[in-house]
Amino acid sequence: MFLSTKRPRAGIRMALAGASAAMATTLLLAGCAPASGGSASGSADTLIAYTGQSGDYQINFNPYSPSQIGGIGTIFESLFFVTNVNTEAYTPLLGTEYTWNEDGTQLSVTLREGVTWSDGEDFTADDVAFTFQLLLDTPSLNNGGFDGTVEATDDTHVVFTWDHPAFVSGPTLLGRTPIVPEHIWSGIDPTTDVMEKPVGTGPYTLDNFKPQAFTLAANEDYWDGAPAVKAIRYLSLSGNTAGVDALKAGTIDWQTGPVPDIENVSTTYPGYDAITIPQNQVALLTCSSAELGCTGPQTDPAVRQAVYAALNRDQVNSLAFQNTASEISPTFALTTTQKDLISSAVAEPVAPGAADPDTAAEILEAAGWAKGSDGIYAKDGETLSLTVEVVTGWTDYITAIDTMAQQLKAAGIDLRVSQSSWNEWTDKKGKGTYQLAIDSLGQGAASDPYYLYDKYFNTAFTAPVGEVAPQNVARFSDPDVDAALAVLKATNPEDAETRQVQFDIIQEKIVAAMPYIPVLTGGTTSEFNVDKFTGWPTQDDLYAFPAVWASPDNAQIFKSLKPAGE
Amino acid sequence: MNYFVRKLGFYLIALWAALTLNFLIPRLLPGNPVDILLAKLQQRGGIVTPDTRKAYELLLGGDSSEPLLVQYWNYLINIFRGDLGVSVSYFPTPVIEVINTSLPWTIMLVGVSTVLATVIGVALGAIVGWKPGTWLDSLIPATTLLAAVPYFWLALLLVYFFASTLKLFPSQGGYDVILDPGFSWEFIASAIQYGFLPALTIVIASVGGWLLGMRNMMVSTLSEDYILTAQAKGLSPGRILRHYAARNAVLPSVAGFAISLGFVVSGSIVTEQVFSYPGIGSKLLSAVTNNDYALMQGLFLFITLAVLVANLIVDLFYGLIDPRTRVNA
Repeated sequence: MFLSTKRPRAGIRMALAGASAAMATTLLLAGCAPASGGSASGSADTLIAYTGQSGDYQINFNPYSPSQIGGIGTIFESLFFVTNVNTEAYTPLLGTEYTWNEDGTQLSVTLREGVTWSDGEDFTADDVAFTFQLLLDTPSLNNGGFDGTVEATDDTHVVFTWDHPAFVSGPTLLGRTPIVPEHIWSGIDPTTDVMEKPVGTGPYTLDNFKPQAFTLAANEDYWDGAPAVKAIRYLSLSGNTAGVDALKAGTIDWQTGPVPDIENVSTTYPGYDAITIPQNQVALLTCSSAELGCTGPQTDPAVRQAVYAALNRDQVNSLAFQNTASEISPTFALTTTQKDLISSAVAEPVAPGAADPDTAAEILEAAGWAKGSDGIYAKDGETLSLTVEVVTGWTDYITAIDTMAQQLKAAGIDLRVSQSSWNEWTDKKGKGTYQLAIDSLGQGAASDPYYLYDKYFNTAFTAPVGEVAPQNVARFSDPDVDAALAVLKATNPEDAETRQVQFDIIQEKIVAAMPYIPVLTGGTTSEFNVDKFTGWPTQDDLYAFPAVWASPDNAQIFKSLKPAGE
Repeated sequence: MNYFVRKLGFYLIALWAALTLNFLIPRLLPGNPVDILLAKLQQRGGIVTPDTRKAYELLLGGDSSEPLLVQYWNYLINIFRGDLGVSVSYFPTPVIEVINTSLPWTIMLVGVSTVLATVIGVALGAIVGWKPGTWLDSLIPATTLLAAVPYFWLALLLVYFFASTLKLFPSQGGYDVILDPGFSWEFIASAIQYGFLPALTIVIASVGGWLLGMRNMMVSTLSEDYILTAQAKGLSPGRILRHYAARNAVLPSVAGFAISLGFVVSGSIVTEQVFSYPGIGSKLLSAVTNNDYALMQGLFLFITLAVLVANLIVDLFYGLIDPRTRVNA
C-alpha cells in the first residue's frame, strides 16, 4: 500500500545528483577527442609504425633478450646488413669487408673507422671482440649459435676462428649479431638488464618510452649521416581491426598484415600502397616416420604424394588467401630468389595449380589402397582419413583446410580439421602427437635453401614421438640427406657447383618422401604511407624485407626513406 | 567471538586450497613457454634455429626437472616471502612489477564503474520498488536486456557511435600517449576521457542486476509490519522510503557490492581487450596465451586474495549490520 506524495525525496535525489554530476564532469572534461590514437600522428618527418602490438609495451631494449621490443638495426647495428629477400652482396655497416680462408675456418673482418657510440665513446674492434666473447661466455644469449673464437688483431680488424668449416655461420654472425658497447656491457648482467637507456651505434636513439608508445629519434652523429626520417613512433593498438581503422584514418604510416580489400589498397586507403613478399612456404606438416613412432595413414609416402597431387592450389589461393599467395616448389627452394638452385632432375619444379585426381588415384592404387563403398580409400581395414591440426582463430588457414578437404574428398581422401589453442598446437607438433598440421616453414638468415633443409630435414633436429623435436617436427630422417647437409656446411657459398650436387641429392629425396606437403607460398603484405614518405622497397628494388616487424630490415628501410616534401 | 574465529579458520583453509589450485592448474596446460616464444618469433619472420631454442631454454630455465612436490614447497615459501618470480612473456621483469603497472588502471576503471553502477542501480531500484506495478517497472526489462547483451558487442556499439561516428571519445588506450603518466591535471583529464567509454560499458551492463535486486527487496520490505506502523504513525513517505524501507532492503546489495569489489581486481578482460586498456585483464590474457606460469599465478593470487578478503569483510561486516545472522552462530 502506497501513499503518494508531492514532496521531494532528498536522499535519493542527492545520490542521483551526485552520480549525474560525476558524469557531467567527465563529459565536460572529454571535450572533443581525436579518433583512435589520433594525437599520436606526428609531424611530416615522424613515421608512425604499428607492429601489431596490443597491450602495453614492457620496456626492454636488450637486443639479446627474447622479449626485446625494438632496437635491433635501429639502435644496435651488426657488422653487415644481411637480408634473405635478395641474394646481393652484404651491405657494410660496422664492418667494411670480410674474407673467409680457404677451408672456412677463419673469417677476417675489417671495421669502419670513425664510428662513435651514442654516448660519445669511440667504437673499436674491442667492442666487437667483447660482444662475441660475451656470447661464448653466456650460452643463454647465444641464440645464433656462435661456436668459434674471436680476436681483435688491431683497432679495426677482427678475426674469427673455428675448428671446423663455418661458412654457413656467416650470415648470422655478420648480419644478425648486434654489436654492443664494452664500456657499458662489461658492468651489467646481460641476461636480465633491459637497457632502459640503450647506447648503440645505429641511426636512431631511444627518445622516450611509455607503455603504450615509444619513440626513436634520429641519431644526428650517425656515421652515415643522420637519417631523413627524424622520429619513429611505435604504437600499441588493439589488434588487427584497430590497425585497419588507423589505416583508414591515416594515423599510422606502416603496418604489416592483411587488410580488407587487400588487392586495391591504393584506392581503398588513399595515400597508401602495399607490397606482398612471398616467403612463408605454407605446407601440411606430416608426422611421417613410423620408425620414430608416428601413427596414421600419412606415414605412407604414397598418401602424402596423393594429397600433393589432389590439391587445387589456385582455388585455395583465391578462397583462403585473397590471391596474395603464390606458387611453391616441392623442393622448398623459393621460386623468387632461389629458382636456379632447383635440381634439373626434379620432374615438377613448381607444384601445379590445378588438381590432378587421376594421378592421386594412380599413386594410391599402386600402393595397395582401394576405394571403399563410401568413395574413400582404405587399406588393410584402415580408411584414408587424416586430421589436420590448426590454431583457433587462424581464419585463413582454417578456410584453406576446408577448401582442401572438399578437393581431397573428390580424390577419395577424407580430411578433417581439429582446432586448438596455439599452446596445444605447438605442443602436438613438437611431440609428434599429430597426423597433419598446417604451418609455414621459416627461412634462414640469408637467401639460401640450405638453412631450411638443415632445420626441417636434418636427423639431428628431430626426436622420437613423445619427445620434443627442436625443428624437424615431421620426424624425417635420411642418411643421404644428412651427409649432403654436412658437405654443404663445409662448402664455401661461392662454390655453386659443389653445392648444386648436394642440393640435387637433398631435393630428390625430399620430393620423393614429401614429409612436408607443399601447399602455397604465403605472402607477407605490408601497407605503407607513400604520400608522406618516399623510398619504400618495391618488387624491382627489394633492398630489404618490407615488414614493419622484421629487424634489422626495417632499420634499413627507415634509413632509406625521405619525407615526401624533400 | 567464537563466530569470528570460525570464520577466520574457514578463510585460511580456503586460501590454502586456492593457492594449491593456483599452483596446479597452469602446470596442466599443454605446451611450454620456450615453444611458444619460438613459435612467436617464427611467426614474426625471426630466424629460429636449434641454437636459438637452446639459448632460450637456458635463459628461461627450460622445463624444470625438479619433482612437483619440491616445486610446490618452493612456491609456497616464495609466496610468503612476497616473491612471485619472473614473468616469461615480459622477461626479465619480475611479476610484481608487471602487476604493479597495470593494477592501478584496472582498480580505477572497474572500481569507479562498479561504484557508479551500484549507486545508480540501487537508487533506481529503490524508486522503482517504491511504486511497483507502475510504468517505472518498464525499467527492469530495459536494463536487464542491456545486461544480457554480449559485453563485447555492447562495447563495439559504443565505440562505433561515440568514437568512430561522433568522434566524442577515443576508441582505445588508457591515456593520450604523448602525455607522461603522473599527477598532472592534463594527464588525469586524459585518463578520464579515455576511460569514459569502457566505464560506460561496464555501468550499462551491470546496472540492471543491481536495479532488479534492489527493486525486489524493496517490494518485499514494503509488506513488512514496521512499514505499516510507520505509515500509521503518519511519517512522511520520503522518510519511510529512506529510513525504514530502503535501509533494510539494501542489505543484500551491500553484500553483493563487497563481493563485486573483490572481483574488481580481475578486471574486465573483454572490456580491456576491446578498448586495449592497459589493465590487469589484458595482462591475464597474454599470460595465458604465452604459458607464462609465474605471471598467471601472480595474477590469480591477487584475484584470489581480493575475493577472499572482500568476502571476509562482508561476512564480518554483515554480522554487524544485520544482527539476525548472528542468532544461530
